[in-house]
Amino acid sequence: MKFSLFLKDKFYFIFTFLGIYFLIISMFFAFHIDFSLILATSLLLFFFVILTLFIEYFKKRNFYTNLLSNIDALDQAYLVLETIEKPEFYDGKILYQALYEINKSMNEFTKNLEYQVEDFKEYIEMWIHEVKIPLSALILISNNHKDKFDKKMSVQLKRLEDYVDQVLYYARSENAEKDYLIKEIRLSKVIKNVGLKNMDELLENKIDYIVDHATTTNVSVLTDSKWLEFILGQIINNSIKYKKEIEDSYIKIQAFDEKNQTTLIIEDNGIGIKESDLKQVFDKTFTGENGRIKGKSTGMGLFISKNMCEKLGHKIEIESVENQYTRIYITFAKNNYYEVLK
Amino acid sequence: MKKILIIEDEQIVAKELCELLNSSGYESIVLENFQEAKKEIFNISPDLVLLDINIPYKNGELLLQELRRESSVPVIMVTSRNNETDEVLSMSYGADDYITKPYNPNILLLRIGAVLKRTGISLEVQKYKELEIYLQKGIIKRGEKEVNLTKNEMIILNYLLAHQNKIVTRDELMTDLWNNDEYINDNALTVNISRLRSKLKEVGYQDAIETRKKMGYILL
Repeated sequence: MKFSLFLKDKFYFIFTFLGIYFLIISMFFAFHIDFSLILATSLLLFFFVILTLFIEYFKKRNFYTNLLSNIDALDQAYLVLETIEKPEFYDGKILYQALYEINKSMNEFTKNLEYQVEDFKEYIEMWIHEVKIPLSALILISNNHKDKFDKKMSVQLKRLEDYVDQVLYYARSENAEKDYLIKEIRLSKVIKNVGLKNMDELLENKIDYIVDHATTTNVSVLTDSKWLEFILGQIINNSIKYKKEIEDSYIKIQAFDEKNQTTLIIEDNGIGIKESDLKQVFDKTFTGENGRIKGKSTGMGLFISKNMCEKLGHKIEIESVENQYTRIYITFAKNNYYEVLK
Repeated sequence: MKKILIIEDEQIVAKELCELLNSSGYESIVLENFQEAKKEIFNISPDLVLLDINIPYKNGELLLQELRRESSVPVIMVTSRNNETDEVLSMSYGADDYITKPYNPNILLLRIGAVLKRTGISLEVQKYKELEIYLQKGIIKRGEKEVNLTKNEMIILNYLLAHQNKIVTRDELMTDLWNNDEYINDNALTVNISRLRSKLKEVGYQDAIETRKKMGYILL
């Protein structure tokens, strides 16, 4: 709060005061009143006016600078009302009351939205469970009647299943509510489940699934196995989608078990990612150059995966050289707390 | 023949599941009276129960809890609820396995087979005609003649033996291999089968595995 601007705001008061002051002084002169009395009156008048102005200025300055600096310092500016004291001057009180009301209605509004999001998420979860029933039936039917339905049918059903799962995990990962359970999981089990799930497509596309047993067997990480399976599934789907048209395509999975962390590395020798696109691959709906070439890319898979990793406390990174390889690193922290207790 | 009870209220899924199990050499029964589910399980006395979580009257997890107080019949939970919490809960109530819908039929069959094997007596030595098969050691033996098999060859032979006189598709063999952490490709499967054939020939069973065009293999 600048003093000069404060004075400018008080222009009418100062102007009127000066007007009246000169009127009084000229009246004093007209009545030939003693000069020393005029001087004393002037001093007193000016002293009182300047004092009132200063008192008002400092009161307001304290309140407003406090308010503004707290707004700056807070992550959520709307909480500022909790950090300041109720002012004593009148227009401050009005402002405080107005902020309070605005805050309250905003809270109600966001609460409402939160409920709506929560409701919608619940509905999505329920809908997905429902839709999985006819999907299961279709998969069983196509399996039981191989004479009538060929492999194409199960390939399409698998795609359908993948898209349905993507919605499920999007809903789960976007929600503030904790929807996962972290426990000790054997990496080899997750790798197996993901492999089995994608076996048909891997074989169909002649991509070798190479698992480094030496580094992955007997290695456990702290995670939610369902979530990790989904994340690996997305990565492998991408590797399949962006494979190179060569004979020896592969996806190689290995792990590095260190003292404080375990890193899972998924590498393929696909078409890779352009350096300029690399920074954005985890962004929502980013499809980049590869998406343009291959089409049918939603740009959601890696975005959801990154979100999920963040929630689970894992780190996910990508490295790629165009036309050579893509490597994804997922790093799991170890819980040393329990080690210490031992 | 092993008896499997299907507790599933979606009729079409139950019917197709029944068909799948029957064609895979099991006798399957679909539960009809959900109100008296527990009583029915005792009446039917199956070798294994496939239990859905969302069923009428009593949720599957509760039913499992009650069942476990009186019986140790193997139970596989089958559900569309795909989350860790439900799985941990079911396993803690005493389920033997937990499979989420939609499932790959081959994998479902493998998991059923695994649970039945785990709960039954599994033989260290299997027999095929005069041939003795030592699973753990990776050896087949006929009289004095001994031949070593690789892990992959053993998995294939074991699967064929478990489905003797039935056509086994390449898909099934592949699923079983991958399920045993052997992630081989199509060429490797062909190579492994021809190696297994020549090893069987060494012990005098040259025509044991026949190829059925476009369908798969059969161990006679």
